[in-house]
Order: sequence, then structure tokens, then C-alpha cells
Amino acid sequence: MAVSVLVVDDSPIARKMLIRALPSDWDIEISQATNGIEALVAYRAGKVDVMFLDLTMPDMDGYQVLETLRKEDLNCLVIVVSADIQEKAQERVQNLGAIAFIRKPITAEGLAEVLKKYGIVV
Amino acid sequence: MTMPVAPPTELLAFTVDRIEVGVFAVDRDFRIVLWNRFMATHSKRSVADVVGRNLFECFPELQQKWLERKINSVFVLKNYAFTSWEQRPFLFRFHHNRPITGGVDAMRQNCTLLPLKNASGEVELVCFTLADFTDTAMYQGCLNDAIVELEQEKSAQQILIKKLEDAQGQLLQSEKMASVGQLAAGVAHEINNPIGFINSNLGSLKTNVEDLLAVIAAYERADTVLAGHPDLLGAIKMAKTAADLDFLQSDMQSLISESLEGVHRVKKIVENLKDFSRIDNAEWHYANLESGLESTLNIVWNELKYKTEVKKEYAGLPEIECIGSQLNQVFMNLMINAAHAIAERGVITLRTGFDESSVWVEVEDTGSGIKPEHLKRIFEPFFTTKPVGKGTGLGLSLAYGIVQRHHGALDVKSKPGEGSVFRVTLPRKRVIEDVGGGVGP
Amino acid sequence: MTAETRTDLTEDQRDALQEIANIGMGQAGSLIGKIWGEFVNLSIPRIAHLDRQSIPAALTRLVGDHSVNAVRQAFHGSIRGEVVVVFSGGRDDELRELMGYEEADSVEEQELLLDVANILVGACLGGIAETLKAEIGFSAPSVMGLDISPALLIRPDELNSGRALFLEVRFTLEKKSLASHLVVLMPEDEFFVLGQALDTFLASI
Ligand SMILES: Nc1ncnc2c1ncn2[C@@H]1O[C@H](COP(=O)(O)OP(=O)(O)O)[C@@H](O)[C@H]1O
Ligand SMILES: [Mg+2]
Repeated sequence: MAVSVLVVDDSPIARKMLIRALPSDWDIEISQATNGIEALVAYRAGKVDVMFLDLTMPDMDGYQVLETLRKEDLNCLVIVVSADIQEKAQERVQNLGAIAFIRKPITAEGLAEVLKKYGIVV
Repeated sequence: MTMPVAPPTELLAFTVDRIEVGVFAVDRDFRIVLWNRFMATHSKRSVADVVGRNLFECFPELQQKWLERKINSVFVLKNYAFTSWEQRPFLFRFHHNRPITGGVDAMRQNCTLLPLKNASGEVELVCFTLADFTDTAMYQGCLNDAIVELEQEKSAQQILIKKLEDAQGQLLQSEKMASVGQLAAGVAHEINNPIGFINSNLGSLKTNVEDLLAVIAAYERADTVLAGHPDLLGAIKMAKTAADLDFLQSDMQSLISESLEGVHRVKKIVENLKDFSRIDNAEWHYANLESGLESTLNIVWNELKYKTEVKKEYAGLPEIECIGSQLNQVFMNLMINAAHAIAERGVITLRTGFDESSVWVEVEDTGSGIKPEHLKRIFEPFFTTKPVGKGTGLGLSLAYGIVQRHHGALDVKSKPGEGSVFRVTLPRKRVIEDVGGGVGP
Repeated sequence: MTAETRTDLTEDQRDALQEIANIGMGQAGSLIGKIWGEFVNLSIPRIAHLDRQSIPAALTRLVGDHSVNAVRQAFHGSIRGEVVVVFSGGRDDELRELMGYEEADSVEEQELLLDVANILVGACLGGIAETLKAEIGFSAPSVMGLDISPALLIRPDELNSGRALFLEVRFTLEKKSLASHLVVLMPEDEFFVLGQALDTFLASI
């Protein structure tokens, strides 16, 4: 069965870059959201296995999404993809339950490495 | 920017060494690895003396903590940093290039900190360039001095311009007043003659009429004699009735006396006008300010009569040495302002008083009063709160100037909503200006 | 210069620039966080094409209508322009501490502002240039104005370019009151070169 992937980023270019970087042999269904609110709506509407989440977004940012997911005890694998690469930012999202942090600009190799490391793609 | 720290060619090395700019570099431990001739000459520390040693050990006078952070930021950010003589006159205390002409204490320096990266993009060294900006600093200093001077001159000029404007305002106003005065005097003179003969003619007319009426009365006594001439008597009676002789008799007399009164009033106004303008008398002379107030009041009566009641509280002032026509202008301005301040109905009080050395005149009104923020500006020329056409903003400044020339004082007390009092205080005797020395308080 | 070279960026190019600025800012934030030991909050970059007349109003809208301190710095190379750094808030002693000035240093506030601006500009523009594979250098920063209204910082009649690309980001330090707006202005004759660089980037993704 296909894995459902949600890409959350306010920048269309960033979403495009991420989707391009996903492994071509990965059996997935991709949906997109442009801010945190949309992400939560998408999450609640159906199944999201893996969420790629940007941090700085208008309306509801990535931190708030993580907090909500944790508060409501929702589970999906969240991989934060952010330009804000301060160590404290990485620490914070991991404390909030994100399983990995990928720095922008995203590359196919970098992404593959993370997916492999966490056993999402073998 | 990646700049391989490859060994420079001989030419490059020569240039770096000889260029008239300080060039030196440090590594991550702040050890000096490059020191060009400019640095050596100006610091009097040779290459052998400093290369390989810690920058801050060699130069304890450097501000270590600040400079360390600055250098570190270049290592971390891989980016330029700068210092400018304007904020930080110098990094190293070097002699400048004006040993004779001098001007500043040390060489003014602009520094640039350049990141020198290795092949893998890491910053290996931070290179300083240090440029001598003493000349620029000196020019800037001169410029600043010049600017300060210019600013001072400018403000002095502005004060001067303001004074000129004041003077012009006063001139304008006094010229206006003078021409009004001249006009008034001319008109007064022209009116005086006809009024003179109208007056005397009316006087004659009065006696003539009285005589005429006496004659008619005498004739009336002949009525009994005329009883035998009923036709004649009838005709006389008819003529009497037609002319309403009884009414004619009383009316004629009152017409004449009213006319005479009118003529007297005209004569008085003409006198007041002459008094007020005193073209003939713009000199210092002894005058009674209360009669000045009276003639001024007559002039402005039209402005006042509909809405104000004028109260007079005269103390019986002694005559003082003054320029009466000018003081009348002061009183006129105060009275007109008072009238303007009264919207519907109000009272204007003219009050006087004196002591051994001075006299004072107050014009008080129950008008709008003056807002505190306006109070210190009302004597400025052109300051007015009145609509165009009604106010020129010159009245009080003119009054102030005149009072000052009399070595007097013009004071005001005012409460918004309740009214204002303007008081003119004047010395009884003319103060002759003491040229050179200040006039004591 | 033909009319064609002066056209505004396309929407795709603008999106790309925004994302690149975002990445550049992130790098800047992390570097600054490292040297200052402070967590830096970053805003989403905003991009607009503005006629020169509307620049003062735009500046006021962005930074607020209160008096500010501002520093300018030019960058040059394969792309060129100027950056205006507008500071609001930020007490002197905080800045002093960040930049390592000793207590006794009676150094002028101006130098502090120049130093902070230089770091922000270098880090942020450096990041953008790196992503765009552009080589750039920087001029020394200089003070534009102290304690003045943002509307007076840039006077339209003094601008050389009729139209400018306006890119704004905001830095705030989590534990300090310092806030700064970084406004990158690029003249219209640079739009073409920038557009090309952005197209190259777009093609690479
Ligand atoms: N008696 C007064 N009551 C209220 N305001 C006054 C009075 N006298 C003067 N002022 C104020 O001072 C201003 C200046 O007066 P003045 O120099 O005579 O010029 P102008 O009467 O032409 O306005 C007036 O506009 C008015 O605001
Ligand atoms: Mg007046």
C-alpha cells in the first residue's frame, strides 16, 4: 500500500524542491499544504504517514503544528525541513516530537540519507 | 569568496609588502602571520619581531576583547568586517603623515578585515588592511568647523532678519498711522472752514428767526384792529392755518438749535482728529494722557458704541513728558483690541493712576481673554488670531515699540473667558538715552 | 538598455527569491546565533517591486512610525544593490555586550550599529549569494540616520533608479529587545541579471 506524504511549506518553490528530491522508487501519495492550519485539516481529514514540515510559515508555523500534534496525541512521522538551522531550533523541534531535521536547501542525497537512517525507506 | 592561500608570486608579495597601506594577517589563535612594511615602519616593530607571535601580546594597547570578537566574527561569518576612523579613530597608535603641520594626535585609520579562505572554503586567516585617513579626517574637521561657523552665522542672520522684519512692521504701521493722521489733519482743516461759517450763519439765522417771530407776534396784536376787515382777517387766518404757524414757530427753533448742536459735534470731532494726529506735534512735550484717552475714545467710538459700555476711572493724571500722538496710537490699539475681544456685550474700563515718578493707564475688557500659549506671542509682529482683514498682528508690537521708546512698560494680565487688562506704565519725565551704557532696571 | 531588461521579476522568480532569501536568512540566523550565543527569530522574507515614490511609505509601514537608527551598506559583484538596516529597540548595553565592548569603553553607539549591521548584512546577503552562485563583496557600512523617522531615511528624489526591488526580513533576538529590519534594495537595471540567476536556480531544481 502507498505511503501518504504531506508536504507543508508556504513557498511553492520549496514544496517543488522537496517533491523533486523524494526518492523516485518510493511508493507514495503526495498532498500539499501551505500553512499549519491547512496541514492539520489535511491530517484530520485522512491518513498522513509522513509529514515534511517547514518552520516559518504565516498563520500557523511549524512549532505550533508540532505542539498541536503532540497535545492531541496524533501520530505521524514528522520531518522538519527548515532554513532556520540554528541548533536551538533543531533541539526544539526534536523535543516537540519531530523525528528528524533537514536543512534547506534540500538535496535528494540528504533526504535519502535521513529516510534510510530512520528506516522509513529501506 | 574562495581565495586559495597559495604562495603569492614574487610580484604580489612585493606589492603587498610595499604598498602604502597597512597589511597584516592573523590566524585563529590571533598569531601574526603577515606583517608588511607599512606596519613595520609605523609600529617600529619588524617582521622578525612580531610574526609568529600573538597580536595582543605584541600590542597590549589594542582593545583585546572587542577586537577578538571582531576577528572571530570574520572566521565564523566568512565575511568582511570594517572599522572607520569616524567612530574609532585608530586601531594602532601610529604617527601620522603630518609631523610638521600636525593637527591631530595620531594617524586616523580605516580598516577592513578580509576572510582568507582555504580550498575547502574555511576561513584560515583574517587579513587586515589599514588605510591612513588622516588627511580626510583633517579636511572633515575643517569642514565641520566651517559648518559650525556657517550655522552660527546663519542663526545670527536669522536674528537680524527677524529684527529687520520687526522694524519693517513697525515702520509700516507707523507710516500707515502717519498717513491716516495726515489725511485726518487735512480733512480736519478742510472741514473747519465750512463748519466755521455754517456755525456762524446758523448763529445769525437763530437771531434772525427770533427777530422774525417777534415781528409776527407784534403783528398778531393788530388782530383786533383788523376786525373790521373780515376778508383780510380771513385770508391771514387761512395762511396761518395752512402754514401751521404755531408748529412752525416751535419747530424752527428746535431745528436751528439741533443743527447748531450737530455743528458743535462736528467741530469737536475735527478737534479730536487734529489732537489725535498731532502732525504738528510729533515732538516730546507735556501732555495730559486722560485728555489723550478722551480724544482717542471719540475716534474709536463707532467701533465701541454698539456692544460696550465704557467706564472711566480717572485718577486725575499730572501732565507727563511724552510724544502724545504716539501714545494715542497705543491707546487706540488697546481699545480696538478690547472691543474685538468682546463678542456680544461687555465693559471696557479705562483706568489711570500715578505716583511720584510714573503714571499708568489701564485698558480692561470683559472679553474673551488670551490663551496662555498665545500670551508670550501677542507682542510679536504679525502675530494675530483674527481673520484676514480684521487683524494685521501689528497693533501690539507697534504699541510695545512706542512704550519702549518712552522707557515705559506694557504689561498684560489675562484669563481666558474672563477678560484682559493691558497696562501702560510711563515715566513722568523723559529718560534721555545714556549712549554706551546700559539702561539700568 | 532595452525595455525588456528592466521588466519586473516574474512570480516564479519572486517565489524563488523568497525561498532563497529564506535560506540565506536561516544561515545568517544560525551564524549570528553562534557568535552571539542567542536564539534569533526570523521573519518570512517579503518581496515587492516599488516605484521610488512609494519606498518611504513602505519603509514606514514595515518598521513602524517611530524614530529609528539606520545603517546602509552596499554590495557589489555579479549582483549589486544596497542594504538598509533599520534598528528599533535594543538598549545600548545589550548591544555593547553582544559585540564584546568592555564596560569602560566609551565607544560611540554608532560603531555598535555599524558592526551589528555589517554582521547581519554579510550573513544574510552572503547566504543569498551562495545559493545563487553569485560572487559579491561589500563596502564599509555607514550611518544613514540616527533617531529619525523611517520615512525620512530614503528620499525618493535622491534615488537613481525609478523602480527598485525591495526585500525585507526581520531579525529579533529572543532574549534581547533588539529588533532590526534588513531591507535589500536593488536598482531596476539589476532585475535582468538577478532574473537570470534565479532562472538558473529554478532550472536546477
Ligand atoms: N484685549 C484682548 N483680548 C484678547 N486677545 C487680545 C487682546 N489684545 C490682543 N489680543 C490678542 O493678541 C493678538 C495680537 O494683537 P495685535 O498685535 O493688536 O494684532 P491684531 O489685533 O491685528 O490681531 C490678537 O490677534 C489677539 O489674539
Ligand atoms: Mg490689534
